[in-house]
Amino acid sequence: MVIAELNPQFLVRAGEVHRSVYTDPAIFKLEMERIFGRAWLYLAHESEVPEPGDYVVRHMGTQAVILTRGKSGGIETIFNRCSHRGATLCAFEKGSAPHGHQCPYHGWTFNADGTVRFVSNASNYDGVLDEADYAISQVRTETYRGFIFGNLAGHAAPPLGDFLGHMKSTIDDLVDRSPTGKIEVGKYQLRHYYRANWKMTFENLNDTIHPGFAHSASVVSAKSVLAEVGRDNIVPTVGMMLANGKPIQFFQDLDMVTTPGGHSYIGGHMGADYTPDTADAYTQSLMDFHGPEKAKQVLSVDRHLMLLYPSSFWHARYQTIRIIRPVRHDLTEMIGFTFKLVGAPEETHVNAIEYCTGANSAASPVIADDLEIYERCLLGNEYDRREWIPMSRGLNEDRERGNSITRTPATSEAYIRNQFAAWADYMGKAS
Amino acid sequence: MIVEVSDLIQLEAALLDDCRYAEWIELFTDDCLYWVPVSPEMQSPRDGPSHFRDDRQVMMVRTHRLANPRSFGAEPSPRTVHIISGIRIEESTPEEIHVSSSQIMLEYRNRGRFEEDQRAFGGRVRHRLLRTAEGLRIAEKRIDLINAEGAFNAMAAPL
Repeated sequence: MVIAELNPQFLVRAGEVHRSVYTDPAIFKLEMERIFGRAWLYLAHESEVPEPGDYVVRHMGTQAVILTRGKSGGIETIFNRCSHRGATLCAFEKGSAPHGHQCPYHGWTFNADGTVRFVSNASNYDGVLDEADYAISQVRTETYRGFIFGNLAGHAAPPLGDFLGHMKSTIDDLVDRSPTGKIEVGKYQLRHYYRANWKMTFENLNDTIHPGFAHSASVVSAKSVLAEVGRDNIVPTVGMMLANGKPIQFFQDLDMVTTPGGHSYIGGHMGADYTPDTADAYTQSLMDFHGPEKAKQVLSVDRHLMLLYPSSFWHARYQTIRIIRPVRHDLTEMIGFTFKLVGAPEETHVNAIEYCTGANSAASPVIADDLEIYERCLLGNEYDRREWIPMSRGLNEDRERGNSITRTPATSEAYIRNQFAAWADYMGKAS
Repeated sequence: MIVEVSDLIQLEAALLDDCRYAEWIELFTDDCLYWVPVSPEMQSPRDGPSHFRDDRQVMMVRTHRLANPRSFGAEPSPRTVHIISGIRIEESTPEEIHVSSSQIMLEYRNRGRFEEDQRAFGGRVRHRLLRTAEGLRIAEKRIDLINAEGAFNAMAAPL
């Protein structure tokens, strides 16, 4: 397909999508410009850069940016690229640079906000170069409840609040679960990658039909161990595997919520519970902070997983966020973060850590199967005889259709159709 | 003692390479830990997520699954060879022995993708061994891969 001829309306239909959206490098390139270049992307949490000069490096699509805590306390986000010859400025994913970011090539140095701090042999540039022209471009950022989002479209983008819409409630759920109102990022991240398209993860994670098939081996194995050790002795990780064996009716009865922009979430508690002691201590701490009414309401929120299109996955109950990093049309990285509920029993963070390990480790029996499937789908979609991929499951099963939210059974592919509606919307606009 | 320790560590690797997983698990204590952290700085699996953070039950599920024909992530099954070197006793008491070694595991799965089908996992291994009534057993195996912080594609076989 020639890029000039690309009309995304030809690639997305009511209940099907053209296979080239997964296989064509030209489409990937356009996605980076038009989707990752326009959507709000979750980048980092305030607690990752507590002190002035602290920085982290994150990707926005295929480009890396540096988020630095500025002297005045704000977050500055600039491209991780020297404006002289283009060399990468920060080689590390995190660190502290209170005196600016220095390029290793000719020593050009930049302030957190991208302005030039130092140009080597400045006299050679007398009357030739205006330093103001070589400030590194800033990326527009906005924060919601401590979560920092960036947008490459700058002022052309809507406010972050409009982008999040109803999905703010999942972020609220994560933060409100803290008995101090504060959360803090865990120190370690967990990464996996696969040789297939980034959209595969978006289409898989709220797919409630695949576990009964793709993960059946884990379910069978977990049941065999269950028979051997008894239900009372099952450890949380094995309990998580057993959850994949829930009957289809469970998911048919469950609601899936989709919102404009390609976002969605489902409920259904599918991880490990706290131990009784931890649950009691945690509930008490939450009641002390919020009062009994609000605490009860906070604990009643049931969000298993929110997909925030096109770049992040929010498991609020398990204080786990995953970020997607599209590398090529056929290469994708997923990065898992955990968060501590400040003031809650330490065991709650251990619960999050166990969840994140099960949900994002390449060695997780569940994820290993998913990654294999993603790669098989890419291989098959390279074949040329069947051009269209159906996404019609539950097409006529919407429970409630509104401007801001739509409810469907959790077995529906409504969330995939919703993703491709957003995809076509982003991709269809040339500028 | 080094011979006894070395024999156990080589036996463990051989059982993995021969896919004799039930016997492999028998080498571990009931409350064992099999751990592949995401950073050599981690002190405990409670510090953060891990690639592998298995107790005996998870080891049983993982290896039971390797034998299941519906286990797509292990289809075809991985074939592995462990190369172990530099086995050293770091510390020992009458009950407990701390051992360190270097390990490379080559893994091959025939998926028709040529060199991509073979991978190498290398790092430093620490075994904590206990003397039990049944003999020397593994209470903890920690593998610090040199690329621990990196991203991995699907891993089915224990390292």
